[in-house]
Amino acid sequence: MQKQIDKYLAKLEKQGLIEGEHGASLFGLDDEIYTNAGTVPDEIRTLFSLLNINSLIVARPEPLLWSIITRLASEDEIIRPCDCESLTFFHDVPVVQSLQAGPVARALNRRKGCIVKDTGIVTFGTVNLEQAFITMSSICFASFVKFFSDALNGLHGCGCTPKPDPLRIDAVLELIGQAAPMPSRSIPAVHELKDEAQIIRAMDEAGKALVGSRLVDSFFGNISYRQGDIIYISQTGSSLDELPGCIDRVPLDGSSTCEITSSSELLAHVKTYELTADNAILHGHPRFSVIMSMFGGELPFGEKRFVEDIPVVSGEVGAGRHGLSHTLPPAVKEHGGAIVSGHGTFTSGAVSFSDAFDRLSEIEHRCYLAYRELLRKGGAG
Amino acid sequence: MRSREYRIRALFVRLQEKNAAVSEVPSDISRAFLGGRGIGSWLMSACPGLNPLDEQAPLIFSTGPLTGSRIPSSDRMVISAFSPLTNTVCSASVGGGLGLALKRAGIDLVHISGRSEEPVLLVIDGGQVSFERYDLPPDTPVSGIFDRLRRMKGSAAVAGRAAFEGCRYASVMVDGTFASGRGGLGLVMASKNLRAVVVRGKGGFESCDPAGEENARRDIIRLFDASPAITGRSGIKHYGTSTLVDLMASRRMMPTANFRRTYFEDYRSFCAARIRERTHPKHYACPGCPIACKQKGLSEIPEFETLSHFGALNENADLGAIIEANRLCNEAGMDTITAASTIACLAEIRNERYAGEALVEKVREIAYGHGDGPLLRLGSAGLANKLGEPDRSMSVKSLEIPAYDPRGAYGMALAYCTSTRGACHLRAYPISHEILRKPVATDRFSFSGKARIIKISEDLNAVIDSIGACKFAFFGASLEEYAKGLSAVTGLDCDTQDLLAAGDAIYTLERHINNLRGFDRKDDMLPSRFFTEPGTHGPGIEIPPIDRGAFEETLDRYYRIRGCKPDGTLTGERIGELNICRSR
Repeated sequence: MQKQIDKYLAKLEKQGLIEGEHGASLFGLDDEIYTNAGTVPDEIRTLFSLLNINSLIVARPEPLLWSIITRLASEDEIIRPCDCESLTFFHDVPVVQSLQAGPVARALNRRKGCIVKDTGIVTFGTVNLEQAFITMSSICFASFVKFFSDALNGLHGCGCTPKPDPLRIDAVLELIGQAAPMPSRSIPAVHELKDEAQIIRAMDEAGKALVGSRLVDSFFGNISYRQGDIIYISQTGSSLDELPGCIDRVPLDGSSTCEITSSSELLAHVKTYELTADNAILHGHPRFSVIMSMFGGELPFGEKRFVEDIPVVSGEVGAGRHGLSHTLPPAVKEHGGAIVSGHGTFTSGAVSFSDAFDRLSEIEHRCYLAYRELLRKGGAG
Repeated sequence: MRSREYRIRALFVRLQEKNAAVSEVPSDISRAFLGGRGIGSWLMSACPGLNPLDEQAPLIFSTGPLTGSRIPSSDRMVISAFSPLTNTVCSASVGGGLGLALKRAGIDLVHISGRSEEPVLLVIDGGQVSFERYDLPPDTPVSGIFDRLRRMKGSAAVAGRAAFEGCRYASVMVDGTFASGRGGLGLVMASKNLRAVVVRGKGGFESCDPAGEENARRDIIRLFDASPAITGRSGIKHYGTSTLVDLMASRRMMPTANFRRTYFEDYRSFCAARIRERTHPKHYACPGCPIACKQKGLSEIPEFETLSHFGALNENADLGAIIEANRLCNEAGMDTITAASTIACLAEIRNERYAGEALVEKVREIAYGHGDGPLLRLGSAGLANKLGEPDRSMSVKSLEIPAYDPRGAYGMALAYCTSTRGACHLRAYPISHEILRKPVATDRFSFSGKARIIKISEDLNAVIDSIGACKFAFFGASLEEYAKGLSAVTGLDCDTQDLLAAGDAIYTLERHINNLRGFDRKDDMLPSRFFTEPGTHGPGIEIPPIDRGAFEETLDRYYRIRGCKPDGTLTGERIGELNICRSR
């Protein structure tokens, strides 16, 4: 249990969600409570007694995120995300005033995490700390995206987003400089990946680069590589900086059902490979790519729009009737990459992950610049 | 849980007197035990000492509060009784249309006691109950019984010939092919001389908040669509549970040769792709389920556990023989997992192998009672005891271990032992996180944190079985969405933690009933093989024997978390919390 606590504390820091190891207290309960906090506060003991759970994280996000979250929390008792993954998996985020066990327990009875105004974010897991970590990261992501997205859409009168009040615009202008994506890095280009060992090494390297560049949320996204009739693809829920041991070997023809543990976007990868000659695909959730993909309001299924020359398509997570596996592959074929509205970016490359990574990173930087330009055009800044 | 009035409407049937009366379960009990398995266990707590085949021992058919609603995959029902195979409390969730028919007849639950003098058919037609003479010969196959009952235009549950010939793992068959398989509930039905229950109903279903119900339905469908295990290219929507064959083999946890190995070289002979290629199955569903995991070719396609146990466990690579063995079990009305495991146990004791036609013949012997049939009808524990080799029975509390080798998933190892009906994979279903990575992945070769994970999962699955939902739905959705649906449908103001608290009460009550029936720590134990013999290693995978010390330590932790003493019985404080006396 202590190992889990150390691992997820390090991840919160590495993801840039907290500032220093004192930014979060993690608690794991088996037959006793384990923590990094030295002692277990009474409120936490009471929370564990009120909830049938085994893990809990209480964290104060780093200053930029906390500033965004406190502003959103001051406007409503519930934060309603606008990106589609948060909507699908988390629905909404309740806000409570202070870290008192009763009100926090009531909020966590209903949802996987909540915002506590005088403290930070509180999340829990019923299986392990990873659930609490994912919810923590997702609340940060959803809040960031909502803050900037609502302001831009409101400023331009898009969809039904209300016009933001001047204070919100001032806040956006104040924070946008700090919200810039990390400087681009790149991964070495290779001309050929000869065997399984090389492929897994390359996937591992690409995954770590995506996480290191903060181009994914909660360490999640997915990565695949095609070699002949086999696709190597990250497993569902695998952490992209811990890929070895979490990669499925999937025959393209569907002759083995071991792929049941593969990424939920397997079908989108398969169809992209069927349409293109490319061999590498990356998928991440870069924040400004997601924000810009929602500029203009809801995109009806089957329709497409552009951020400059970057295509934005619609489609839900997975293989359903309105799944992105129907809309994404043709757009990737045509443009080498595309953003799924409200979700994230997929890019492909011919031989190695280098081109796909550069494209994913480039799209994010261009979306950030496009956002600033639209702010200016909307009369802000 | 805060709510407006919610009362379970129960039909109490006394077969001896052939009378029936409807009464409502008090609202506090209805809220606390929800329906389905929960209310069944509560009713059984009123008579914890009865022999499973005692005339007064209850047989309970109970729907969940979501049964009949528009919430996806929630039209299941549960059959409960004391098990003649294990002597534990026992309940089995079953698909088909019986739950929906009961709801439409205005009934949530049927409680049957007593014994009819002659073979009888219980007919529930809307508000009317009748007892009809049953005139089919006792050896009529299940399909023949359903052919006859079809004229009555209702949904039905029947006990087959295995039940009436004393097979300890006789099942109750619903609507032809849906089996309430485990624990011998069919034998309980037969002990009452009750051949079939037929239900017709035309009533509608009223939701308290149709808009809230629709919102919950949409959230759940979106999560189904996002789940690779449900709707992915190899998800159960496309292959049924046979999709697990490849995965279990690749993880080296496919029980083979009565659990002497964990990998069967010829597993591809019965994998999902081979089944599709050979049988071109069509999918069908329980009412109200968009997943449609059931498959049928010329015959019913067996579920994963049946494929694996009639296949690998018996070292049989003949898919035709597996399908035929499954058909024979369904026609006689008996549990495929126990049948297959008992045959494998006999094979090990005799140092023989029953594969292909020899396997089919052994199943026929059980169904018709010739050859080794009378011995095999005892189940593996009864058979192994009788032959003086009790360690050869791969069971816990006399219920045979399903097709997930515990050496390949340590949470599963613990859950087999703490399950209230014996070795059951569904009571905590740790395969979900240890193998399928839902909702998150856990280390399958570690006991770290597993005691509490299993306890919470047991509570969760008690809720799922009590509200009418299907476990497969939880490969995508969570209790959060189902709680929303339940609130909208029933008007109960409930959330995730309210439901988990109900699950805790249900599970702990079941453990208490078992304690009262003499079960304790000595019964919460795997066969010694799993602590002494390794499984089959594979590329990058070592399957060592389970460390007994680590297992016992985790069991100790589980007891502390569940509120038990070190001997596995509940503490006085925990019994007090259950407030069982008042609940009765």
